[in-house]
Amino acid sequence: MTDFAIRTFELSKSYGGRRALDRLDLDVRRGEVFGLLGHNGAGKTTTVSLLTTLLAPTGGDAEIVGRSVARRADVVRRSIGYLPENVRFYDDLTVLENLRFFARLSGLRRPDPRIAEVLELVDFTGHDREKVGTFSKGMRQRVGIAQAILHQPEVLFLDEPTSGLDPVGVRSLRDLIVRLNAELGMTVFMNTHLLSEVTKTCTSIGILRQGRLVHHDTLDATLRRFPGEESLEEIYFRLDAAVAS
Amino acid sequence: MTDLLVIAGREIRERRRDPLLLVLIAFLALASIVSVVVAAAAFRTELDAYTAYVSQLLASGSSTPPAAPRLFPMQLLRGAVEYVEVLGALFAIVVGYGSVAAERRRGTLDLVLSRPIGRFSLGLGKLLGLSAVWGIVVISLAVVETIALATVGGASIGLYELRGIALATVVLWLYLVFWSAVAIGITALARRPSTGLIVAVAVWLVVVLILPQIGDTMDPDNQVPGGLFAALQIQRTDELSVMAHFAGFDGVRNAIEVSSIEKHTERLAFAFLGIKDQYNQQPLSAVWADMWPYALTLVAATALVTVGAALTTTRRTLQRRDS
Amino acid sequence: MNGFLVSARHELLATRRSRTASILVIVFVALVLASAVIGWITTRTVTDVYEQIRAAGMTSAPNPFSGASPLYFARNSAIYVVLIGCLMAIVLGTEAGLRDRRMRTSDLVLTRPVSAVSRLLGQFAGLGIVVLVALAVSLAASWVVIAAITGGPLSADETLRIVGFGGISWVLLMAFVGAGILGGVHSRHETAALLAPILVWSAITFVLPQVGTAARPIALLNPVPSVAATGGGFDLASAITGPLAITEQYKRVGAYLLQDPSASGSAALAVMILLTVLIGMFAVVGVTSRRSLRRALDD
Repeated sequence: MTDFAIRTFELSKSYGGRRALDRLDLDVRRGEVFGLLGHNGAGKTTTVSLLTTLLAPTGGDAEIVGRSVARRADVVRRSIGYLPENVRFYDDLTVLENLRFFARLSGLRRPDPRIAEVLELVDFTGHDREKVGTFSKGMRQRVGIAQAILHQPEVLFLDEPTSGLDPVGVRSLRDLIVRLNAELGMTVFMNTHLLSEVTKTCTSIGILRQGRLVHHDTLDATLRRFPGEESLEEIYFRLDAAVAS
Repeated sequence: MTDLLVIAGREIRERRRDPLLLVLIAFLALASIVSVVVAAAAFRTELDAYTAYVSQLLASGSSTPPAAPRLFPMQLLRGAVEYVEVLGALFAIVVGYGSVAAERRRGTLDLVLSRPIGRFSLGLGKLLGLSAVWGIVVISLAVVETIALATVGGASIGLYELRGIALATVVLWLYLVFWSAVAIGITALARRPSTGLIVAVAVWLVVVLILPQIGDTMDPDNQVPGGLFAALQIQRTDELSVMAHFAGFDGVRNAIEVSSIEKHTERLAFAFLGIKDQYNQQPLSAVWADMWPYALTLVAATALVTVGAALTTTRRTLQRRDS
Repeated sequence: MNGFLVSARHELLATRRSRTASILVIVFVALVLASAVIGWITTRTVTDVYEQIRAAGMTSAPNPFSGASPLYFARNSAIYVVLIGCLMAIVLGTEAGLRDRRMRTSDLVLTRPVSAVSRLLGQFAGLGIVVLVALAVSLAASWVVIAAITGGPLSADETLRIVGFGGISWVLLMAFVGAGILGGVHSRHETAALLAPILVWSAITFVLPQVGTAARPIALLNPVPSVAATGGGFDLASAITGPLAITEQYKRVGAYLLQDPSASGSAALAVMILLTVLIGMFAVVGVTSRRSLRRALDD
């Protein structure tokens, strides 16, 4: 069994003539919480879309737990869970009906016991008969995490998971991610703008700039490399300025 | 008043750049031309059959040929009028819906409503703008159809014909404004715009297709191909005397038909164009004497739904959100 | 197979929850039912009209309706299938095709081990059951109404004919469900998603038959066909547009099955055309790419 949850080999994606991701080489070990940072339009969502098989690469390849996203997409889909940015559900259906559908699509034959388990894990019991259309963003995000981990994936992809949440929602989601990683051993790959979240959640980070990976290391090593800086934010801007110049 | 004109002006500019509207108008224009071409071809086929029959009769020594079929070119417009009745109404609904739905989905509704505009200015302004758009559309269709009549139909277009076409154009314009107002009102009331569209289309289906269809189906003369009375070789005067015994049934049937605004439009347009035989080549005063009640109901219905559209496009209804 | 069945089941649930879809299905069932009553009232009146004419000595021709089958009362059903049935089918299909794009659930679905073909054909199949139930309920109710009108149950042959009519109606409606799904999946705007299949339906229902037979658009809504133009270019035009005018082909099969005396043309050929269109629609829906399924709506 490979030690790597995610490996990319010169992974590239172009839209027409524009290169959104340029020869990305990245390794994420099993059990890590990896944070991918970058400005808007840096290529973060494209990277997640390629790794979750939503997009096909125009160059290179990637492996999720040793399986190629380009050649064995169907097998990869069994190993991953995905929470898109601003997750939405079928508004006319209840939480239970939504989760049953996604569980069955993932191959779970009798999903109800697992749904109950997962709802407890994400601290969302008692809402399963309510229609999702009435939920706040924070509530939808919890159901979003629930749908992503129903089938016990090995790698969990989170695209801007705290975007639009209030401070309480941010903290609660952050705690949940840490628990999923610590208790279930899930590898977590998250895109985020919030550098403070990365400091509190991630074990390693990567920084994308205009489709290129300009930094990749563990969080501790990154902080050690810049001893004079007080926060990751300062380090991020220093790295970004260095690449820009 | 200025805000009303500003909103109407923006509506016209938006529709001018709307590719969907262009597709719809092109479809309608094409269908109208096809119907004129097909009707003209059908007449020529009928005329050829008559000529062949007459020469056969003459060859066999008969000297009293039957009356030749006569072409009244305006009658070639029947299909084109029906297309506006059926498809034009549908398109007016889609455009009316799109006008309200676009404001919601782009988020420009809140920007407009945060300005000091009159309570009913948004709905009425939009409808005013769409009325202008439909005016241009029906005039363009009338021009296309007149050219088709003159070229494909071989008709000579005089003052009588032009007056008929102009009056029918006004009737069809009111009818399209009616349907856009219905769509604006329903879409404003619906929490989810797409539900508004589906409900408005369902209303169109019932009013434009189902009610007249039920009325048409219940007509005893529509029960056998070519007509029951023709099949039994009954003259028109005898037909009327027979049907006098079924006044109750015919009354119900007619009531079902006239409960649809489409029938009012059709009867007016067919009368002005002389498509209905009894009004063909008749002076306008004779046509108007029979038609004014239909004109009154069409104008009243359009005014009523315009008021409805104004009342439903208030801040309260428009700013409701689905979840 | 898993994705197909799960999608079919999900489609049934989603349609049941959609108020608009439910209303359309109810209106369709009610109208098909009403058509039997309207057919009965009209046929009875026409017979009375004929008796009046005969009593006045104006004709010696036989009653054109004597010996008419009781199924003739339901002939209007074919028109309602073409009108409200097709619209219902288009709305159901469009809603299904749009749902994942509108709700932005496409990414949740497509990151699971399900292929685009099993997802879409599963939705197609789910709607097939919805349409089947709507037709079964409405035609069973028609059977009861006709039996009540004629004072006895319909014979096995007549019942089979109603079942056959339901079958061919299902084929036609599923072709329009497919058109709706395609509109929902491929259109950039929600409005165009619904409008495009409706335009196709109007062209098929009104324009094509007019080109082939010179029938006026509104006359095509009468269950009794108008006399078709022949000669000139019409025979050729009819040969070209006839197979494409699938609603006319459907009305032809319906007229044969419901024992309408004015039925003409080859019903077998019409059935073949309708089946071919449905199979073609399955194929076109089936080749939709994953990329199309997650294309964002511009609305």
